[in-house]
Amino acid sequence: MPILSLHNISKKYGPVQALSQVSFEVPAGSVFGILGPNGSGKTTLLSIVTDVLRADEGSFTLFDEAPTAKQRRNIGTLLETPNFYHYLSAYRNLQVVAGIKQKSEKDIARVLELAGLTARQHSAFKTYSLGMKQRLAIAAALLGDPDVLILDEPSNGLDPVGISEVRTLVKQLAQSGKTIIMASHLLDEVEKVCTHVAILRKGKLLLSGPVNAVITRDDFIELGCNDNTALKTLIGKHPAFVQLSATPEGLLQVIFRTPVDPADLNNWCAQQGIWLNHLQVRRKSLETAFLELTNN
Amino acid sequence: MLQIIKIEWLKVKVYRTFWILLGMAVAIIPASNLIVQDITSRIPKEARTLLGGTAYDFPLVWQSVANVSSYTSGIFSLLLLTLVTNEFTFKTHRQNVIDGWDRRDFVFAKLFWVLALAVLALVVSMLTALYFGFFYGEKAFSAEGISYMGYYFLQVLLSLCMALLLAIFVKRAGLAIVLYLGYIMAIEQLLVLTIKRYWGSIGGLLPLQAGDELIPFPLGSIGKMMPGLEQYDTSIYLLALFAYIVLALWLIFRRLLRADI
Repeated sequence: MPILSLHNISKKYGPVQALSQVSFEVPAGSVFGILGPNGSGKTTLLSIVTDVLRADEGSFTLFDEAPTAKQRRNIGTLLETPNFYHYLSAYRNLQVVAGIKQKSEKDIARVLELAGLTARQHSAFKTYSLGMKQRLAIAAALLGDPDVLILDEPSNGLDPVGISEVRTLVKQLAQSGKTIIMASHLLDEVEKVCTHVAILRKGKLLLSGPVNAVITRDDFIELGCNDNTALKTLIGKHPAFVQLSATPEGLLQVIFRTPVDPADLNNWCAQQGIWLNHLQVRRKSLETAFLELTNN
Repeated sequence: MLQIIKIEWLKVKVYRTFWILLGMAVAIIPASNLIVQDITSRIPKEARTLLGGTAYDFPLVWQSVANVSSYTSGIFSLLLLTLVTNEFTFKTHRQNVIDGWDRRDFVFAKLFWVLALAVLALVVSMLTALYFGFFYGEKAFSAEGISYMGYYFLQVLLSLCMALLLAIFVKRAGLAIVLYLGYIMAIEQLLVLTIKRYWGSIGGLLPLQAGDELIPFPLGSIGKMMPGLEQYDTSIYLLALFAYIVLALWLIFRRLLRADI
């Protein structure tokens, strides 16, 4: 059963087409990254799913049913900015959230501890730093231990330690079997935690599915020797050769049709009279793959 | 609904601005009546006999208090405007929906305040009328004319519905308060005067004026009515009040259920 299933969702803001016919499914138990540059429609999409915005066209289901408020009570959501009552303390704000979600207030202490806010739980929200506000929003999303989480840029405003903590938390939550839908433009974040992705550009869905299927990042081998011109000619004759490019440092990056054992390759070159002084198996970074995808 | 009320209570329990405004709205009802009572008590006894008693004698006290209180009911609306526009300013209306309220629940939460504040205004006004009737009046208790309290309640209810409508459409606290005050203090009065001058009594059917027409000051000369014009039957003004309340509710629901929030 898909947790979320989108069917041809479209949304316009005046003349701007924010989303255009977007359809994909979020499988249960996945960490689903929604990727895209700023303004690609990630937050708009999540706002529609959480009933903040109305789609102009299309429909979606939650837990394989038509969406209702009751279902949202069982989803922990952090959307865009942390929205709390400025004059209330963190604890009282979470009491409001617990009331709406119809969850026990007993869980407040746990989520405050998880977010590292126990010591400041009775301070008014308006006295919080940006990072603390974000932590409170994460605490609110975790209240009641929901099985599904929607996190829109969860590490916004956090310092490096906070970012790392959120990442670890997301990983732990994923390992415990929760489904996490996460919008982010931080590819590093997605690479480290997501199992599935949907890539948006200017409101259009480019691709969606398991990370490695969607963003093909072929292994390539970086080679160098004393005579790279001769190496270039030789490597083109390798039976599995596909493509070749050069780095600014003059090294050759070679993509092969099938995985090539570095030792065999070294041996093959030596037999042809080329002695390698650099040989390294590398992988295209997610960032490069993503930029190639979204720029084309 | 109880769950919604509990959540609304959590939102205001420690909100100082709310309690200050509420205290003012409540205190100003007996306070303004005290001032008017003081003024009317200075009318010479002969004149009072001619007028048929004092404004704070039973049964006139119901009408007097309803009339005087109607001038200050705007404070309840300011309180409501603050509560509702706060939600838009802090974007907590969104968060409430994200966290699992139906959009209808948000409207019901705010309508709870509309009803609660109107009932509070009614209760305080009734207690004020009883107090003034017993302590300043010279006649025995009478419930005759208590219907004026009902008219006052309907007028407060309508003014609160209008404030809620304005808050939902304008969203910004400052602008909503200025527009509301501008409307109740000048715009509607100007419209009433103009329409009454050129088209007659129909000017009395504007939203807040319809309530005013139902609760004129009992001794006539101090009332808010324009002299020389015939009034419609009470049922017409009541119908107008109900129609405006229904229209406001319809617009509130339509806006919040359909629009992006």
